[in-house]
Amino acid sequence: MSRIELDSVTKRFPDGTTAVRALDLRVGDGELLVLVGPSGCGKTTALRMIAGLEAVTSGTISIDGVVVNDVEPRHRDIAMVFQSYALYPHLSVYENMAFSLRYRGARKSEIQARVAEAARILELEPYLRRKPRELSGGQRQRVAMGRAIVRQPRAFLMDEPLSNLDAKLRVQMRAEIAQLQRSLGTTTVYVTHDQTEAMTLGTRVAVLSGGVLQQVAPPTELYRRPANLFVAGFIGSPPMNLIDARLERGDGGPLVVFGPHRLRVPPSVLAGHSGLDRYLGEPVVVGIRPEHLADAALAGAPPAGPAGGPAPGGPAAGESVIELPISLREELGSEVHLHATIGAAAHAGAAGDGDDVRSLATIVARADPRSRIAEGTIARLVVDAAELHFFDPATGASIRDG
Amino acid sequence: MIAAARSRSSRLAARRRRAGILLSLPAVALVVALLGVPIGQAVYYSMTIWNGITATWVGPSAYASTFTDPIFWRVLENNALLLLAVPFAIGIPLVIAALLNEHVRGWRFFRSVYFLPTAISWVVIGMFALRFFSATGVLNQVLAHFGLGPSATDMLAGETSALAALAITFVWSMIGTNTMIFLTGMATLDPTLIEAARVDGLSRWQIFFRVQLPLLTRFVQFAFVITVISAFSALFSLIFVMTGGGPGFGTTTLEFFVYQTGFQQVQFGTGALYGIILFVIMALVGLVQLRLIRPSDGEGW
Amino acid sequence: MAAHPGRRPLGPRLRRHVWAWALFAIMIVIAVVMLYPFWYMADNAFRSPGQFDRQSGHSLAGWSELFANLPVASQMLNSTLVCAAAIAIILVVSTSSGFAFAKLRFRGSGTVFLLVVSALMVPLQSIIIPEYVNLAKLGLTNSYAGAVLVYAALGTPFATFLMATYYRGISDELIEAAIIDGLGYERTFLRIALPLSLPAIATVTVLQFIQIWDDLLVGLLFLPPGQRTITAGLATLSAGRTTSIPALMAGSLISAVPAIVVYLIFQRHLVKGLTLGMGR
Ligand SMILES: Nc1ncnc2c1ncn2[C@@H]1O[C@H](COP(=O)(O)OP(=O)(O)OP(=O)(O)O)[C@@H](O)[C@H]1O
Ligand SMILES: [Mg+2]
Repeated sequence: MSRIELDSVTKRFPDGTTAVRALDLRVGDGELLVLVGPSGCGKTTALRMIAGLEAVTSGTISIDGVVVNDVEPRHRDIAMVFQSYALYPHLSVYENMAFSLRYRGARKSEIQARVAEAARILELEPYLRRKPRELSGGQRQRVAMGRAIVRQPRAFLMDEPLSNLDAKLRVQMRAEIAQLQRSLGTTTVYVTHDQTEAMTLGTRVAVLSGGVLQQVAPPTELYRRPANLFVAGFIGSPPMNLIDARLERGDGGPLVVFGPHRLRVPPSVLAGHSGLDRYLGEPVVVGIRPEHLADAALAGAPPAGPAGGPAPGGPAAGESVIELPISLREELGSEVHLHATIGAAAHAGAAGDGDDVRSLATIVARADPRSRIAEGTIARLVVDAAELHFFDPATGASIRDG
Repeated sequence: MIAAARSRSSRLAARRRRAGILLSLPAVALVVALLGVPIGQAVYYSMTIWNGITATWVGPSAYASTFTDPIFWRVLENNALLLLAVPFAIGIPLVIAALLNEHVRGWRFFRSVYFLPTAISWVVIGMFALRFFSATGVLNQVLAHFGLGPSATDMLAGETSALAALAITFVWSMIGTNTMIFLTGMATLDPTLIEAARVDGLSRWQIFFRVQLPLLTRFVQFAFVITVISAFSALFSLIFVMTGGGPGFGTTTLEFFVYQTGFQQVQFGTGALYGIILFVIMALVGLVQLRLIRPSDGEGW
Repeated sequence: MAAHPGRRPLGPRLRRHVWAWALFAIMIVIAVVMLYPFWYMADNAFRSPGQFDRQSGHSLAGWSELFANLPVASQMLNSTLVCAAAIAIILVVSTSSGFAFAKLRFRGSGTVFLLVVSALMVPLQSIIIPEYVNLAKLGLTNSYAGAVLVYAALGTPFATFLMATYYRGISDELIEAAIIDGLGYERTFLRIALPLSLPAIATVTVLQFIQIWDDLLVGLLFLPPGQRTITAGLATLSAGRTTSIPALMAGSLISAVPAIVVYLIFQRHLVKGLTLGMGR
């Protein structure tokens, strides 16, 4: 069992591409850390550096406190599960799993015992004599896992191990991997571009973008307190609605103003975001998760003022109602997604994009399926203002404490 | 730690480099020693007069005197005339491949039969061609049977007719290879394309000329290169068996001239010179070949 | 449409039939043209010179004359030995270098690869004189060694190209999996890459076998007369012009048999070699 530490690890390829930039990461003993991010963000590169397949340009990688920068892959005692599985096509399932042990000089009886054990755990016993091409995708995936398990390595590295499976199998294998990892207790770094997979699997999740680490946190923390616009937009499905707005002084406290809409920021939010003070009269990016927008008719909210501002009578604390035209209603059975056009600009992208093209935004509400809001009508939506997120439009950083 | 941070390539990369050099070394050594070095030597020899015992240096003027030698030009003319066979060596296989591609009954059998000459040595082919074209040969018998032509002319006896006989034999023996190339090419074509053309109302011929042929350009180019290379540097055995280069210099091509000059007249210097000229011609063809191969490999080597 | 087969005009169907039969007939004609030489050889090999002149009657006279004038058995053996040795060298050299060029790139490997492959364009005739002088000086033209080396060198560029193309098709992840499993690059080559490349190895073997078996020039110049290959032996026999035609036909036939057999068995590999050769 072991710890993996990355200290300010940078990878620059000879062609000048910087795939990973000053990455700091700690993977605790027995932990399953998920590395997630969009395509090309450097996940694979990071993993390959941990494996020793790729040299680091600067910084250090250590396993159990020992710097392994100059240690060859075979001496790092780690196992890797590749996206393509990389099973040896000319060897049987048994031989594939036994392969590494044989070259590490394990005794024959030992090899047999370990392969048998792995095959039992992964339910591969009926297939040991088969060649990889005679297996289904899921079975191949399990062989790849088995090849890693028999090694009893210090750590598992997995690069999108489920991406070649169909959706249903992926969910099933995801659960199996989680279970297996927990029962073996082997330190694991798991790479995926699928945020759902990341959230369901990881003890902690590290979000990477453009080779830069954005945030490392447990899944709920990541969801509830995204550190910046990128994480806010990346984690969650449908993604958080991000709107360019202004923070203005109102009668009963600060107001979020975008287009014709105004939302009151309840005192509880102000208390938790003391940094907001400095943004009064300034632009901010406000984030609203789709599930924090509800059909007002079902929520039992009082009628709103004509401009959608706070009702004079004072609504229930932390709630506000906005009126929006609905452009699309998607039925998902357990919920409906309502797409609404707002008379304001959507935030064009994560910080530093420099993209000034702003379009009128669509925001998505995740409503109760009993909602009768139809396409083409104006709907009244309740915003759970207690769950608003605020970001600095210039830096993209979350606005929390002053 | 600092050292680690500074090292740009890992130990693994060093190992890979070492293994790469080690594993490629034998091939490189073999090719350099037996193909590379002799080219250099040939350039040197080409500027000497050397009868196998005594060598005298002449320098580049050796080339000048060659270029004024009418026999040399006669030989080059033969090479040029052989090029006239190339369109046939490409056109006929192209038609055959198109017919095979219709997949009529038994096409697999026909394919095997048509490819067969690829496996046969030029010596054996020449052996038959010798009888075929001779005065009492099959060709004359057939012509006589149909009451055609003044029978019993030996095609191999006349300079021009001998070269023609050589060219016909050459075309026949290229059929297998080139048909194979074109059939492979046709197999890569998207069948729905042809169906689309059929739906669009194109006739069989239109489909062949307007749809299939343009898509086969690469394969035609490849076949062209292979055919030219064969015409210039693979006919030694055929000439050796059929005509011995004669009558006169009627069928002596450059490659055969090298052999005659070097090994029959033992003029190593001049022989090497002809070899170098052949090499230059081939290198030019080779550049075409390279241009054909490279785009397909993606990341250039 | 299929509901009214009777309503279908007869014209197109008939035309299709005629076309199919015409096509078949053309195929037969071409097949005859391609096969006739073999029939001619087989027919006339079993004649005496007299029978050949009359074009009637069959006998084994041609064969006995052939065996009297040409050490067929020993020359077939020479061909086999030379082929086997040269192909062995080509395989060792081209698999290892093909793997290196495809998977173990080092600085300059691209250029080196290009150099090796472009040696493909060197016509044998261009270098044959220095080659002969060099190998004769080393005393290698007194045995199989000289010819074997020349054949090996001539076959290596294309074989290397084929092998490199093949290895490039193997995923990098597979090689890396072996590295992580604890093998060095050399052993990864031997244990993983080599077994996987058996189809390409078969292709190289077949291509080279046919090439070397059928070659005349190298066999003629680099082998001592006593160790000539069957193809070279046959060509010199024919050049002597003292031998009867049936004997030469018999010789042609028997010398062609091994290559034909190999061709018939491994046709698929030949075609694949050609396709791979185009870098597809
Ligand atoms: N050998 C290389 N040379 C140059 N650039 C490279 C190399 N390998 C990767 N890159 C670049 O580094 C960046 C990160 O690549 P990486 O493969 O780590 O992405 P990834 O996060 O794994 O993406 P994906 O989800 O698509 O697998 C990309 O921009 C890629 O183009
Ligand atoms: Mg990746």
